[in-house]
Amino acid sequence: MTSGSNRPDDGLGERLRELDAAEARQGDEQMDRLFASVKARCAKNDRTIAGFVKSRSTMVRRLIVLTVFAGLGAVGWFAFPLIGDEARTVPWRASLATFCVLLVVAMFMVTRPVHLPALPRWQSMCLACVAVGAAVLAAFWPYPAAHAATHDHTGGVMVGACMGAGLLLGVPVYALLRLVDRGNAFGNLVAASAAGLAGNFVLKAHCSVPGTSHELLGHASVALVFVVGMGLVHRVTRKPA
Amino acid sequence: MASSPPPSTATDEELMEAYVDGDDAAFRLLFERYGPVLLRLTRRHLRNEELAEEIVQQTFFRLHGARNDFRQGSKLRPWIMTIAMNLVREHWRRSKRRKMTSLEVDTQAAPEADHMPIELRQRSELLHVALEKLPTSQREVVELHWFQERPFAEVAEIVGTSEGAVRVRAHRAYTTLKQLLVLEIRGDE
Repeated sequence: MTSGSNRPDDGLGERLRELDAAEARQGDEQMDRLFASVKARCAKNDRTIAGFVKSRSTMVRRLIVLTVFAGLGAVGWFAFPLIGDEARTVPWRASLATFCVLLVVAMFMVTRPVHLPALPRWQSMCLACVAVGAAVLAAFWPYPAAHAATHDHTGGVMVGACMGAGLLLGVPVYALLRLVDRGNAFGNLVAASAAGLAGNFVLKAHCSVPGTSHELLGHASVALVFVVGMGLVHRVTRKPA
Repeated sequence: MASSPPPSTATDEELMEAYVDGDDAAFRLLFERYGPVLLRLTRRHLRNEELAEEIVQQTFFRLHGARNDFRQGSKLRPWIMTIAMNLVREHWRRSKRRKMTSLEVDTQAAPEADHMPIELRQRSELLHVALEKLPTSQREVVELHWFQERPFAEVAEIVGTSEGAVRVRAHRAYTTLKQLLVLEIRGDE
């Protein structure tokens, strides 16, 4: 019996007890059928790679994500040319650090254990807004003028290329986070935010095309496309209640 | 399948540990213990037998997926209740169907209660409607505190808020229920 002292013990208590007793009926047959269905679902799920990954402990799932993030980051950092030394300013570093922190936050949200109370939806919404906001803000921290003056490319031409590359780079991040997500509400929105952040991280680190307009249209748009796109997809494809 | 099935007197936690170690019979016993409890809980919340069954299945499916997170010393009941309440909350969020505005008796809404006498069915329906008028946050506290007989501390753990907040929600919920049902309760006396 509960230790709670303010359970209603008058007419209401009696009514609640009555309701509880009235609903206390389920046959063995129903339970057998439900159990068989659950077992079949579990068995089917266990045979898939996604099922295997999702059923790893939370610590293992987080390690998987962090390892993949670190691996991708290391390959990108060392295998492809970063922007020139003169462009590695404090805002540039701050932008990269912000993207990293937000990526880790997204990873923690997506891998949240299902036996904990679900995060309120505003937190997922907030992360999506902050992700897009950070990408936009980063676009307003342009490279030094000296660097911009020596660059060959024209921003307009490269917008499409950067956006395409950013979207392409975000897809594996999105897929990875969906793979380790056990079914958190708004998990796809958080994963989309992370994908946009990952695309922006890579573009910020490697793209040397100067100019706020280029960064807005070619970089920040990646985060926006992921967040808005996944929001729309989620709205269209969600199961009817 | 394990060679020797776990005893039915084993605690929930022992059964869960056995299941994590690969004992399918332990999962069956856990389902026998919690399946009926969860079915009643979800029936009360959803008023739809099919949906209630689906959420019970989803709860155990998620429990299966999360089994490797279970640590020795953890309590299983809050785990299962939290998973189920998360699913119910998610359902409400999706359906946004808390639009009942009157205490009108609608026996068609509870076809599963056909075995009950009409008077009892109507009383039950009235209470259902009153419960539905509560905000979800208060309703889940009534569910866990009253029907599941969980102490406030555990309810707080399950719904993810402080014990004080849960006490306030419970107080408000019981007060509202009393107000909604007061005429009918007086009529009974």
